[in-house]
Amino acid sequence: MAVGTQGESYANPHPPTPSPGSSRSDASGLEDLVRIAAKIREAVESVIEGKPMAVRLALTVLLAEGHLLIEDVPGVGKTMLAKALARSIRCSVRRVQFTPDLLPSDITGVSAYNQKLREFEFKPGPVFANILVGDEVNRASPKTQSALLECMEERQVTVDGTTYRLESPFMVIATQNPVEMEGTYPLPEAQRDRFTARISMGYPDPAAELEMLDTHGQSSPLDRLTPVADAADVRALVEVVRQVHVAPSVRQYAIDLITATRRHPDLRLGASPRATLQLVRAARAYAALDDRDYVVPDDLQALAVPVLAHRLLPTAEAQLERRLPEHVVTELVNRLPVPAPHR
Amino acid sequence: MTRMRLTVVAALATLLASLGLHPLFEGSGWAWSGLGAIIAVAAGGALARRLRLPTAAASLVASAALLVYLTVRYAPGQALLAVAPTPGSLARLARLLSEGWEAAGRYAAPVPRGAGIELLATLGIGTVAVLVDLLAVQLRRAAPAGLPLLALYSVPAAIREENLSWVAFALGAAGFLALLLTDSREQVGLWGHPVPGRHGGGDGRARVNARSLTAAGRRLGLAAVAIAVIVPATVPGIHPRGLLDLGGGGGDGGSQTVTTPDPLVSLKRELTRLSDQVVLTYRTDDPSPDYLRLYALDRFDGDRWTYSPLRSTPDDRVAGRTLPAPPGLLTARTYAVTTRVSVAENVRNMTFLPAPYAPSRVSVKGDWRVDPESLMIYSLRDDAGGRTYSVTSVRAEPTARQLAQAGPAAADVLRRHLRLPSDIPQPVRRLADEVTEGARSQYEQAMMLQRWFAAEGGFVYDLNAAAPRGTSDLVDFLLVSKRGYCEQFAASMAMMARILGIPARVAMGYTRGSQGPDGRWVVRSRDAHAWPELYFEGAGWVRFEPTPAGTAGQGTATVPRYARPAAEEEDRPRDGEESPTAPSSSGEAERPATRPGSREPADAGDAGRAGAADDGAEDGDRLVVGWLAGGALVLLFLATPLAARLLTRRRRWSRALSSAAADGRPAARGPGGRREPSIAAAGDAAALAHAAWQELRADAIDHGVDWRSGDSPRAAARRITESLNLTGPAVEALQRLAVAEERARYATVPAPPDTLREDLRIVHEAFGAAVDLPTRWRARLAPPSALESLRETGRRAVGAVDGLALIRSRDRGRRELRRR
Repeated sequence: MAVGTQGESYANPHPPTPSPGSSRSDASGLEDLVRIAAKIREAVESVIEGKPMAVRLALTVLLAEGHLLIEDVPGVGKTMLAKALARSIRCSVRRVQFTPDLLPSDITGVSAYNQKLREFEFKPGPVFANILVGDEVNRASPKTQSALLECMEERQVTVDGTTYRLESPFMVIATQNPVEMEGTYPLPEAQRDRFTARISMGYPDPAAELEMLDTHGQSSPLDRLTPVADAADVRALVEVVRQVHVAPSVRQYAIDLITATRRHPDLRLGASPRATLQLVRAARAYAALDDRDYVVPDDLQALAVPVLAHRLLPTAEAQLERRLPEHVVTELVNRLPVPAPHR
Repeated sequence: MTRMRLTVVAALATLLASLGLHPLFEGSGWAWSGLGAIIAVAAGGALARRLRLPTAAASLVASAALLVYLTVRYAPGQALLAVAPTPGSLARLARLLSEGWEAAGRYAAPVPRGAGIELLATLGIGTVAVLVDLLAVQLRRAAPAGLPLLALYSVPAAIREENLSWVAFALGAAGFLALLLTDSREQVGLWGHPVPGRHGGGDGRARVNARSLTAAGRRLGLAAVAIAVIVPATVPGIHPRGLLDLGGGGGDGGSQTVTTPDPLVSLKRELTRLSDQVVLTYRTDDPSPDYLRLYALDRFDGDRWTYSPLRSTPDDRVAGRTLPAPPGLLTARTYAVTTRVSVAENVRNMTFLPAPYAPSRVSVKGDWRVDPESLMIYSLRDDAGGRTYSVTSVRAEPTARQLAQAGPAAADVLRRHLRLPSDIPQPVRRLADEVTEGARSQYEQAMMLQRWFAAEGGFVYDLNAAAPRGTSDLVDFLLVSKRGYCEQFAASMAMMARILGIPARVAMGYTRGSQGPDGRWVVRSRDAHAWPELYFEGAGWVRFEPTPAGTAGQGTATVPRYARPAAEEEDRPRDGEESPTAPSSSGEAERPATRPGSREPADAGDAGRAGAADDGAEDGDRLVVGWLAGGALVLLFLATPLAARLLTRRRRWSRALSSAAADGRPAARGPGGRREPSIAAAGDAAALAHAAWQELRADAIDHGVDWRSGDSPRAAARRITESLNLTGPAVEALQRLAVAEERARYATVPAPPDTLREDLRIVHEAFGAAVDLPTRWRARLAPPSALESLRETGRRAVGAVDGLALIRSRDRGRRELRRR
């Protein structure tokens, strides 16, 4: 292992709660989902106080089979959220600290010559896990960042011409500092587009911070966290999410929203078709978390900024006037009428 | 700098304004000729601009083009090569012009067609075209160009005293507005294009701006024309005869509706007038003159008999022509009689001419017209008082057998003259059947009715009876009181005839009066009379006389020969008596006791005073009625939003429920107790949820909540909750409604609609409690949501106009593409 990478395996001392069988009807599947999601959320929130929206979005991305980018200034709990989420599910979790000298093979793995067997042997990298926590992903060189491209989208790794499938579920939770910070390489557009959502933590409110002082004063709450679900549960929940109904009018609404970003005069680059896919997928998960088997425009509205904003490039004028993509998306959401039946 | 677009629009505006001339001329030749003149002028102007001639020269060229056009069209024989004007051709044009001038002076509009008239019209239109071209295109003064257009429009207004049709006005105004719009657009174009933005692809945005300006102009123009046309037509008082005429029926298009004082009201007044004033005197070559009819009342609306609204057009003038043939008079023998009538000087407000039925020719001074259906003769502005006129009438002498064998009447006669109000009680219908029991034909039925009224029914002629008001009074007259005067008799018999299926109407006018020693017939106000006219195919409208005659009845009433009981048995008519020349021997029997004429001179003065007083009272009545009607109109106007709101609410639910009913069975329950969604049931629940949501939306808007169309159901519920500070069960009900709507819109299975109405009620009450008193009352009495549908309609109209423009520009685009 190169310097700067750590392979961490969390041994889970407690067994997960028994999960129901996967052969269940939709309604009970949704009930299970809500129940299990509530448990995970509860577990994560015991570590991250006062950030229900961030936790909910993280769960949404997990259930939407997406990847999560957490962007904020240092010290607000980015890594804590990533680790808490990873820990509440009993599955393989690897963590990679991204540094400027990190090499692609440090992530994907290497073929090493086995003297004994007299052949090359593949040593899997940290990417072979259910959850990969990439800390400070924008501190690595673009070359290394690109190593994540294939595995994030295609869920496979190709080393020396051989392709290895990744496990399911597979989720990358990356944290990054804002690009203005020192010693950062901004993620390329293609890389950013692969993250389903970007969230920021924000500072906790005073009350939550006070409580944090109390709890964190004694011992890390992370240590006390026990898994409440396992990988099979997550796979089943993902299956439930796929069954969530998206009405044609809601699909059209999503497309209208995406198209509007492509036409907006303040944006140099609009949202990609992949963004459309991921938006609808995330909306399904978001709806399921709300105990609904159908998507409403409100889901899309709630997800528009986290799912779309990090993919958009503002024009130079807009940048000068500090009109951020977030603002553009918010404006579009407010402007676009929700689909209603014709009267 | 050809200004092609402006040239074309100016020509178009002139053309549209010239269409307003149409009531002045017969035929359409003048319009085509005028169109040619406009095209010639526009072409001349465009040519001059192409050659960059100075302004004055351009107008000269346009005038020259007009002259050439007139020469080619009207004097090709005298012209050089049939084109170039020569002194000869000019002389011919001048001659034609003076002919046209003469014709215009001789004939009242519409002027019959002729080369001179056509030339006159063409010259006028062409001159206006030259002026418009000069002002709008050459001098770029589009607004003053409206003056010649207005002059064109005012010609018919000045010549015809009636109002011009609104169509002509709308066309002319639209043409002028189009001219203004085009001119302004070109001027805006001269300002230059805005600097193109980085987005929207260069001049695309600039063009969008111009287009939106144009669209705004078009909308303003449309609104202005619509207001100018609609407001005077609907608001009483602005227009002397609005659409909502207080005195008569509805109006129609370009023709006028005639209104006169209620004939029945004036009848009673005439009959009961103390001074027996002389109304008119007449001489006739008819040995046994018929009644003089004023009105034919063909509409019975349950309240009273009235005549259908008269649609008056200039074609209806009686002057110098034979009137339309009396309807239905085909096989019966007829003879012509001429009556020369002098109406007394002091008669007022007589805008209908008394004439024996059926008038075929009338010679009278003034603008008198005939209603082709009923052959009533009326005037829009003249009064019969003091006039002397002569009427030639066709009198029918049907035999009893002809009447008995009459076939079924034509469909349009039946449709118009069998209509009865729905509230006629059964006893009256039974009575009609009882009275005519055993009758073998409609004629026999009519005879039995007449006999029953005049003799067997036990009716008493009583002028003190109140004027009947509505069906109930007639029923009372028929079944209970049996006291009345000619109005009751005539109206009842006509009603019963209609019940029996005989087309009937009530005629009003005067009996023939009494003959003086000098052979002159004198008709007095007490001779005013009403009688039923029944229709028999072949004989047309035939008079009957149910009112008792003589001293115990209408003094001068007579029963026509075919309606006398003897005629029923009389199979073969005696020719001698039927002939018009031989005075009938039975004429004496018809003749009532003549009144002494000695009071005549004294009457005239009294009657004058009485008439004046009556007029004053009538005006006062009308004023009160006007105020009442105006007040009612205002109330109606204020109540419109309320009514619209209630109606939409009811319609919304009933539509949702009817779709539920149409879809059949209610949602079945599956074996597991879970809701088994059938497609139909899903549709119902969704429709109900939508209905509930629409209702909630209207309710929220009524209570002053800012409702945004971009809100999703739950966002809307949140907004309502916050803005009205709702709490408790109302919030829950609101959320249930929102979820129901949300499920109906986006989910596969809608929510069960069981609690929707209850939830709506809860929310409605919470709304009422949450707002202040004025808002609450506004929501009840003048709900703002009701105005929305009106606004929506307006928006759709504007959208249609814009859509038209879009189609046009798309066509243009397509043409340009093809050219490439």
